[in-house]
Amino acid sequence: MKKIFGFGVGMILGFILAVSVWGFDQRPAPPQSRPVALVGGTVHTVTGGELAGAAILFDKGKITAIGRGVSLPAGTEVIDVAGKHIYPGLFDAFTNLGLTEIEEVRATKDVTETGRINPNVRAEVAINPESELIPVARANGVTTAITSPEGGIISGTAAVINLDGWTWEEMTFQAPAALLVNWPQMTPQRGWWVTESEEEQKKNRERNLKELHQAFKDARAYWTAKKAAALNGKNLPTDMRWEAMIPVFEGKLPVLVMAGNLQQIQAAVAWAEEEKIKIIIGGGYDAWRAAELLKAKNIPVLVGGTLRTPFRRYEDYDLPYALPGKLYEAGVKFAIYGGGWASNERNLPYHAAMAAAYGLPKEAALKTVTLFPAEIFGVADRIGSLEVGKDATLIVTTGDPLEITSNVELEFIQGKKVDLTSRHTQLYEKYKAKYEQKAPTNGLMRAGEGEETK
Amino acid sequence: MVRSVWGSFFVFLLCVFSSLRAEPKTTPPEGLRENTPQVFALTNARLVLSPGRTIEKGTVVIREGIIEVVGANAAVPADATVLDMSGKTIYPGLIDSYTDWGLPKPPKRSAGGPGPGRQGQPQPQEEPRGPRYWNPNVLSHQKADKLFSPDGEAAEKLREQGITAVLSVPAKGIFKGTSSLINLGEGKPNDLIVKPAVAQHISLQTNSMGDDYPNSLMGAIALVRQTLLDADWYQKAQAAWSRNPRLERPEVNEALEALNQPVGAYVIEAGDELDFLRAAKIGLEFTLPLIIRGSGSEHLRLDAVRATGLPVILPVNFPDPPSVENPDEAVEVTLRELRLWDEAREAPKRLAEAKIPFAFTSATLKDPANFLKNVRKAVERGLSKEEALAALTATPARLFGVEDKLGSLSAGKIANLVVTDGDLFAEKTKIKETWVDGRRYEIKPDPLVDVRGKWELKLSADPKPGDSVLLDLKGEAEGPEGNFKIKKEAKLSKVTLSGKRLTFSFTGDSVGFKGVVRMGGNVSADEILGTGELADGVTFTWKGRRIAPFTPEPDTSQKTKPEMASFPPVYPYAEFGRTKLPEQPENLLVKGATIWTSGPQGTVAAGDLLVRRGKIVRVGKNLSAPAGAVVINAAGKHLTPGLIDCHSHTAITGNVNESGQTITAEVRIGDVLDPDDISIYRQLAGGLTVLHALHGSANAIGGQNQVIKLRWGAGPEEMKFEGAIPSIKFALGENPKQSNWGDRYTTRYPQTRMGVEQIIRDAFKAGLDYQKDWADWAKNKNRLPPRRDLELEAISEILRHKRLVHSHSYRQDEILMLMRVASDFGFTIGAFQHVLEGYKVADVMAEMGIGASAFSDWWAYKFEVYDAIPYNGTLMHNAGVVVSFNSDSDELARRLNLEAAKAVKYGGVPPDEALKFVTLNPAKQLRIDNRVGSLEPGKDADFVLWSGDPLSTYSSCEETWIDGRKYFDREEDKKMVDEITRERAVLIQKILAEKKSGKEGSGEQGGWKRPGDEEVHNCMDGEEHP
Repeated sequence: MKKIFGFGVGMILGFILAVSVWGFDQRPAPPQSRPVALVGGTVHTVTGGELAGAAILFDKGKITAIGRGVSLPAGTEVIDVAGKHIYPGLFDAFTNLGLTEIEEVRATKDVTETGRINPNVRAEVAINPESELIPVARANGVTTAITSPEGGIISGTAAVINLDGWTWEEMTFQAPAALLVNWPQMTPQRGWWVTESEEEQKKNRERNLKELHQAFKDARAYWTAKKAAALNGKNLPTDMRWEAMIPVFEGKLPVLVMAGNLQQIQAAVAWAEEEKIKIIIGGGYDAWRAAELLKAKNIPVLVGGTLRTPFRRYEDYDLPYALPGKLYEAGVKFAIYGGGWASNERNLPYHAAMAAAYGLPKEAALKTVTLFPAEIFGVADRIGSLEVGKDATLIVTTGDPLEITSNVELEFIQGKKVDLTSRHTQLYEKYKAKYEQKAPTNGLMRAGEGEETK
Repeated sequence: MVRSVWGSFFVFLLCVFSSLRAEPKTTPPEGLRENTPQVFALTNARLVLSPGRTIEKGTVVIREGIIEVVGANAAVPADATVLDMSGKTIYPGLIDSYTDWGLPKPPKRSAGGPGPGRQGQPQPQEEPRGPRYWNPNVLSHQKADKLFSPDGEAAEKLREQGITAVLSVPAKGIFKGTSSLINLGEGKPNDLIVKPAVAQHISLQTNSMGDDYPNSLMGAIALVRQTLLDADWYQKAQAAWSRNPRLERPEVNEALEALNQPVGAYVIEAGDELDFLRAAKIGLEFTLPLIIRGSGSEHLRLDAVRATGLPVILPVNFPDPPSVENPDEAVEVTLRELRLWDEAREAPKRLAEAKIPFAFTSATLKDPANFLKNVRKAVERGLSKEEALAALTATPARLFGVEDKLGSLSAGKIANLVVTDGDLFAEKTKIKETWVDGRRYEIKPDPLVDVRGKWELKLSADPKPGDSVLLDLKGEAEGPEGNFKIKKEAKLSKVTLSGKRLTFSFTGDSVGFKGVVRMGGNVSADEILGTGELADGVTFTWKGRRIAPFTPEPDTSQKTKPEMASFPPVYPYAEFGRTKLPEQPENLLVKGATIWTSGPQGTVAAGDLLVRRGKIVRVGKNLSAPAGAVVINAAGKHLTPGLIDCHSHTAITGNVNESGQTITAEVRIGDVLDPDDISIYRQLAGGLTVLHALHGSANAIGGQNQVIKLRWGAGPEEMKFEGAIPSIKFALGENPKQSNWGDRYTTRYPQTRMGVEQIIRDAFKAGLDYQKDWADWAKNKNRLPPRRDLELEAISEILRHKRLVHSHSYRQDEILMLMRVASDFGFTIGAFQHVLEGYKVADVMAEMGIGASAFSDWWAYKFEVYDAIPYNGTLMHNAGVVVSFNSDSDELARRLNLEAAKAVKYGGVPPDEALKFVTLNPAKQLRIDNRVGSLEPGKDADFVLWSGDPLSTYSSCEETWIDGRKYFDREEDKKMVDEITRERAVLIQKILAEKKSGKEGSGEQGGWKRPGDEEVHNCMDGEEHP
């Protein structure tokens, strides 16, 4: 096994194949046991440019050297990645990965707690490490994700997770990462699917806003009382909900406010000012209309995917594609997430790519799924780019990971080499074998088919 | 002498009339007989006899409900009560061409839950009685006259609008039954109904939240079609049976029986201009004498509407101006809404200019009190008064076959009149009275005295003796206002005039009294005698003498020319529409591109594409341009065939599912195309040129699909892909067995995959029996004729290879199952749709030559797709299956080229072959590869110009061409966006200006809106059946 790495990627693929044939599931990787050097590839550092024909060395999960003349300590496992490309792992800034399995099967979903004010529920404790969705996302280079509860007004806290580990504890990278608030709809929605009248919607809006404001007021009162009680040496009966919000008031936990249209964004920004809390705008469909405000207040945005249709009939077809470019030009800090479908978070890089096709510089597009989310969630000291001292969370690809036709061939999360197989590769291998068992009859097998089965 | 001649003529007329009008009353009198003479002469009036025919001063004589004579010099009969109508204008009574007057009101639609068709609670159905049609929406046997009971209050409201007769239409049903023309008088139904059965009415409205058939627009159309066929069969079957009672006895059916009763017209209700065209198509198919109950949006597709040659019953419901004062709300307002508001009032004018006959109706107005107001708005916006009057009188009379009885002021017609104090269409003209059946209904009668003018008063309690006391009364004669004046003025409050009694009060401090003074008195010609009371309770007497008559103040309000619509018509309406189709250059040469032909030529580097009249002539290198050719320099760019989406729900109006039954083979997507769907444009912008608009997957055998070309701006029929073999949607697995519909849905057959197989087999067996039945009929006419069944006809077409099956499917067992059923019955499956486990049985699919139209990488959204893998396409392709990647989504359809790239990624399909997944392969699956799918000589010039490699995420679509016409151009798009921004700004300012001048709106709330305006068809399977 040790030798395999010396023989390059081809053998590794062979190994993966073999694993599938043996028929067991993806195994979480063991901790990095000795230094690893990826040599001969192009290192895309994100923060420090590209280094062709360079090596990247990491040990105990941390990057220890990047460059052309890196000297390798004794016992370093050297992996030749000539012709390949090394990027930081991709970071999906908003998903329910781990909390949901099959959309239509209720029993497989742990996304939305009952009630409307749930600041105390924590995403990380319900992450199912066995979810088949996780290896699928991981196989395309997504190493890190913000996974979050949804629904109600305050949904709970999201966590930054690594997409590998035996337990949720092992997977949790940082928690809580943000408190999720769904900003009430500010303008009446219209359309055949809307069952509430504009009046009812207005009432609901008032009710929701009141409920949101009241929750923060009550939580703050609780915090104040708690501090006072501590001074007086008295006991304050615990309120789980308000307890969970204290880090928000202390400035330790940002609030991720899901807000799509302009009115929601503006209202959320004004509210954050009043409450003196840090917020991040999520979704942000109209964020470009509020770009000046967001920049002035230094409020970052998580763009809710670029692969969506314009909301308004009069808007140009490419407005969602062009949104990140507009934010970039306006100097707003932002990241792009994959649109929220846990089963297809593997397509995260293509949301960024579409932004690049419609105005966002390519280098920035890469950052929207690596460095920018790390910065927004305050973990850029550890991940998001390839720098000495940061986590060795990285991917080795055949090309630009924002191109669909590129593939990820090796992946490390904190120096651990993770399994790139998945339910999908297993079924692929299984059914390829079916057709290999059947002798090619009446010319149905195509030219080229034979080579793969050698 | 002259007089005696006239006299004898009158006698003659009277005889004729009395014999005609014997009006036999079957009801015995209660108490004494009432025999007040009903003979009136309305004299000295301006008479508008009919549109364009006016007598400035003349007389109308009415005898026993009939106009006896009309004319400038008509003699007043000796027995007539004379009514002096000086200063008045008399018009023929107005007809409201569509109401529910006196009929049971429609049941309120219960609001279903979110998710159409799932959470909606079942409606309690009333137990049907009698030999009904199987579908409770077919109520053709309903008769308005039978249901009618006069509603006095509603009648009064309508008469206030000058309406004297209405068409009353039963409210319920898709077939609603027959309408009656009814006079808006008081009395018994027996006396008011003018014509009991005018037209059979059809509505295409369904409850899309409901579970019952039909719950889609296409289902409603299918039901109309089948019912009309059944009516035809019913007559033939009954006839055959009455000729030979030994035949099997056909069923008795009151609804079908009713449809065989002669009726003057069919009226189909159209919710918008597209429904209009749909209704017209049905009318043509069944040669119905058709009238369309329109919507007011006919001008959006004016040429197509005109081409139908059909008359319209036109509501005068104009949308309120969208809320734009609040910028937050204005953001959500579309240009479409703005333009609809801007143009709606002009619509009647445009229809008139296009010579489309129409009659007005108050239908769809929340308050009929706005009827005349809105008609006047149409006149203000250019509809001529004659045309307006025709739409209220002569045209409806003609359409409803009562032109001999109503519609003009002429001798012999029913004495329905409107009396006004001026031009009916002028803003301030009042309806003074209406006459119905010769009976007078006063609305705003002139007061007995006109107190307006200047009066000099003498008060017994004069605060300032010596100063003259004046009363100045002005304003409306019915409700005057004015001032009390002793040097200074005190404004009168609470002035009332009741009969001849005038009362008023005023605060007297400014004129020398203390507090409020109240006065009252009786008015006779030029004198008032009365009493008053001061604030301290002291009473006094007073006397008034008129010293000057009332002179109205001259109308100083400047009659400004109304602003007309700001922008010319575009197709489709508003956003991204064009004034005309894109040009088709005679010759077109695209030079220097990397051409992915998807054909035998493979990929041609630095290649040229030559197009002539919309067809590809050659692909090659260094082609020379014919003289005058349009040349596009495409060096560095990539050129591909137009992309084809084999699974779409774009461009469909209403529910994409008719989920009311397990088998709905009779419903047709082709009936409900929506050429205005903005998604068409957005998909063009992603290089899509052809799509397969599919019925949903709610049922095992769904509806008939439609292949269209994305000819943005064309009408629904022009969008259809000419000559494409028809197809039909099947669905297997969780959707047809209702697995994810909710807990209520556990009884409809089938609930298992076993049942799905059986119901499909059952349908095909029935299809075979149906064919045999007709074959037998061809040989043996001594039997009941077979009934045409559109559902079985579709099945029969499948059996005869005239219709391809496209089946929604996921699991390998069901895929294999349907292939075996297909083999057993010998039908052709064009492609399995979704087919996410196709990779497990790809060998069988290849062997049978059945295509696979799949998602590239969707999975895990429901249990049956837990084994879906992105290698599916590759595995099937490698096994020899023709594979395409589809969208099933308005969003995904905009970037199918990138879906193709996933075939390269997952399993390594070569790029050329991968591109075919969205070009040639879907064309093959739809059997249109002789026309499209590759760039080959002779094929349609449907192509896309890309900024770079079409499989690269960094590339973008720059131009999309269909039939050698450029339907999308990125630069043109940016210009259109600028134009949209400008038009929105102009119209928003226009609304603000109108609101400022206080002229906005129809007074109606909300106005009408096209259903499905912002409808998004994202039918990612689980969400796709409603």
